[in-house]
Amino acid sequence: MRVSLFITCLCDMFSTDVGKNTVEILERVGCVVDFPEEQTCCGQPAYNSGYSTDAKESMKQMMKAFQFSDYVVGPSGSCVGMLKEYPKVFENDLVWREEAKRLSDKSYEITQFLVDVLGVVDVGSTFKGRVTYHPSCHMTRILGVKDAPMKLLKNVKGVDLVELPVKEDCCGFGGTFAVKNSVISGEMVKEKSAHVSETGAEYVVSGDMGCLLNIGGRMTREGKNVKVAHITEILNHH
Amino acid sequence: MLSIKLGDISYEDRVQKGVENDFMRQAVASAQGRFRSGRQNQADKWGNWEDWRTLGDEIRTHTLENIDYYLQLLSDNVSKRGGNVFFAQTAEEANHYIQNVVKEKNAKKIVKSKSMVTEEIGMNEALEEVGADVVESDLGEWILQLDEDPPSHIVAPAVHKNKEQVKETFAEKKGYHQSSKPEELAGFAREQLRQEFLSADVGVTGCNFAVAESGAVTFVTNEGNARMVTAIPDTQISVMGMERVVPTYEELDILVSLLTRAAVGQDLTSYVTSITGTCHEGESDGPEEYHLVIVDNGRSSILGTEFQSALHCIRCAACINVCPVYRHVGGHAYGSVYPGPIGAVLTPLLDGYEDHKELPYASSLCGACTEVCPVKIPLHEQLIRHREIIVEQEKKSPKSEQLAMKGFAKWGSNPAAYKMSTAMARSATKPWMKDETITNGPGPLKGWTVNRDFPAPAKQTFRSWFKERQKGGESQ
Amino acid sequence: MTIMNREAFLEHVTANLHRPRRTNGVERPQWSIRPQDEVLKGLSKDELVDVLEEHCKVIHTNFKRTDRDGLAAILKETIEGYKAKAIVASSDSRNEDYGLHDFYQKLKDDGNEVHLWDETNGKENQAFAERADVGITFSDITLAESGTVTLFNNKYNGRSISLMPRTYIAIIPKSTIVPRMTQATKQIHEANQAGDGVASCISFVTGPSNSADIEMNLIVGVHGPVDVTYIMVED
Repeated sequence: MRVSLFITCLCDMFSTDVGKNTVEILERVGCVVDFPEEQTCCGQPAYNSGYSTDAKESMKQMMKAFQFSDYVVGPSGSCVGMLKEYPKVFENDLVWREEAKRLSDKSYEITQFLVDVLGVVDVGSTFKGRVTYHPSCHMTRILGVKDAPMKLLKNVKGVDLVELPVKEDCCGFGGTFAVKNSVISGEMVKEKSAHVSETGAEYVVSGDMGCLLNIGGRMTREGKNVKVAHITEILNHH
Repeated sequence: MLSIKLGDISYEDRVQKGVENDFMRQAVASAQGRFRSGRQNQADKWGNWEDWRTLGDEIRTHTLENIDYYLQLLSDNVSKRGGNVFFAQTAEEANHYIQNVVKEKNAKKIVKSKSMVTEEIGMNEALEEVGADVVESDLGEWILQLDEDPPSHIVAPAVHKNKEQVKETFAEKKGYHQSSKPEELAGFAREQLRQEFLSADVGVTGCNFAVAESGAVTFVTNEGNARMVTAIPDTQISVMGMERVVPTYEELDILVSLLTRAAVGQDLTSYVTSITGTCHEGESDGPEEYHLVIVDNGRSSILGTEFQSALHCIRCAACINVCPVYRHVGGHAYGSVYPGPIGAVLTPLLDGYEDHKELPYASSLCGACTEVCPVKIPLHEQLIRHREIIVEQEKKSPKSEQLAMKGFAKWGSNPAAYKMSTAMARSATKPWMKDETITNGPGPLKGWTVNRDFPAPAKQTFRSWFKERQKGGESQ
Repeated sequence: MTIMNREAFLEHVTANLHRPRRTNGVERPQWSIRPQDEVLKGLSKDELVDVLEEHCKVIHTNFKRTDRDGLAAILKETIEGYKAKAIVASSDSRNEDYGLHDFYQKLKDDGNEVHLWDETNGKENQAFAERADVGITFSDITLAESGTVTLFNNKYNGRSISLMPRTYIAIIPKSTIVPRMTQATKQIHEANQAGDGVASCISFVTGPSNSADIEMNLIVGVHGPVDVTYIMVED
């Protein structure tokens, strides 16, 4: 199966490891991974801030970049969720509406792709440590992926999974919200950080880099000894 | 005159005030916890909550698409049952009509049950202008009225107050001498308000739902004050937002069932009271004179737009109860009669962007509101639509942001520029970097680093790693 | 009665919908789904009674069972339990069938004040209800799911009886029990369609009045009754 990796701009810039792990997991389960070089950003930062005209420029580039792909798989519920919104965004655009639908239909978040498309729930990973999982809002509510990440995490050998209290609450990231409404966002991430501490976990894991930058940034600021890890790090550990 | 907008404090100051109010935040968090588990338990109990939501959505969609028909039918039926109906396009028209009824009756005391639409139109102040004394009879609303404080939640208006504050208010305003035990406070309110009911000249209610097929105006309550208001005074006025209409009793069933579950996690509230016009011949309680005031006040301009489904709202506050933003800032931070996610959507629609342009941004777009809404309003999507209008039509977004987004468009549509900037991100942020983190960033990063650290961009971007790996063959 | 300002208002509303005004011919669609019919579906009356009894615990309501012969004794016991001396009751046509005329007479003979709602008494009815210790009515339709008694208020059954006294007793003939509000609203809808004008006030009453307005503490008994008993009667 040929899969095109959608790296997402955050992972491209801040965490090379997420990309590496995603590629290795996909190859391990039998996929051939390519990386369309022309890809940029899904457009969400502009789109969610109300700049849909500006956002569309980036979105069109994404549609061009992935036009020849069979499957597009990315390590982010939020960014893939944005791709899924393209048909709505280009609803009245006769030129792009077909391509928007095609990209939306063939795009998957990595855990969603493994579980729902490939039917894989055990990727043969071993990870020793106490781990709590933060389900990102866009993964669960926009993309509708609720169970796949936990199915995969439960099959990791040696992992000690603990439930995060009120896990469904937003961490306060929200893209430009974190900067524009910094006071409120700050209170939200303090609360999330406190919930993580309650679990006694050594690692807080999520499928979205934005949440991890936010939660991790808060916890290092508080001097807490809790590491953040993208879910692919746990799923590609031996 | 008070209206949808509450006060003149800036958004930033309201937020700051909210965040600094520890008691309020604790009270709101605990209330949210109870409301949320109550709602969730009810959804789990039925097991097919999504089916109910689908039905709720269908009913509201159909009703709004035919609202002219249903309002005509409703008004015909209320009239047949002895009631007067006044259609008010504006708050002023509604208040003027209500003032006239009160003046004609030479009424001195008005007793009122909880109603958001009367808050929205500023009815109490309008009645005070003509010399009438308006008494709120919902316990929470009465507390706030005595304390001259606006509601901060549409179901639990006094959620931001603690019992000590309530005790002090009662002592100061009403000569209360007992303890701060909620039972004693409520017992005192019962005695005081009973006298108010018995001596009132006119009763005013809101309206949860109005049944078009019969003209029945329905109230969903727990305390029983709406029953008192509709059983005792001889003259009654119900005020309804025009979207409160339902076709028949069968749809009333569904919407009431969704409301009580989504709002307070009850199968039904203690009282669901459905009154139709004036009392009949021989009946010795209930109104001899009845008025229904149907209020537009900006609602019709929402019809036929992408925001139409915001009028689905049944005022259950489920979105407020799950909202993390509301939890940290409280209801007053919204500066509107309608707080929380639905408030952030509705307020600019009813009262314009000028005074409320910050509200659509008071959301992380986490979508928790959309997920719980019993009538499927896509709240977070409507917040994005608002932002789009503020940016592209109203041109009210900051210049610096506009420039940044223009830059974004160039960056995102030009792979070469994109590649170069990601490759250079590390060296560009180097001056602020310390041990692979940025703790005091420049420009927009400041908003971030005031509360948390920012990581240093990676030493090698993913794409350069992938390229190297391909060159080295795929065997590693 | 008068309808004011309607035409201008509705024309304005219609203009926003970008279509001609609809003044007739609108039919409710067949809704795609009817989950309300699935609730407590297929349960027997006895099973519905059990659901009702169980739900009374949730709504802070006492539940008693009896038959017609036992009703007077249970009522007496409940009234005494409430230390009630002034009693207001509906002058329901069922009073006769259930032997309540004799029962109320006996209460009077025992020195209690008993007031049966009387259409010729005007405001005195409410004045009595205001100082009564207990109100007694029959339930017209009883909803098992929510523990709700439905009252069609009229000149025999005033709104105040179940509202103003500190305590309230609802007599529930077993035959009035249905699964949920769906069956009640269907019945009301059909009666309305048949041209039998609906009651001026329909009260769905679910236990005592309550409030959570002070620090979210549940306070039972605010403006309405503070204590409620349902007596289910085999009929």
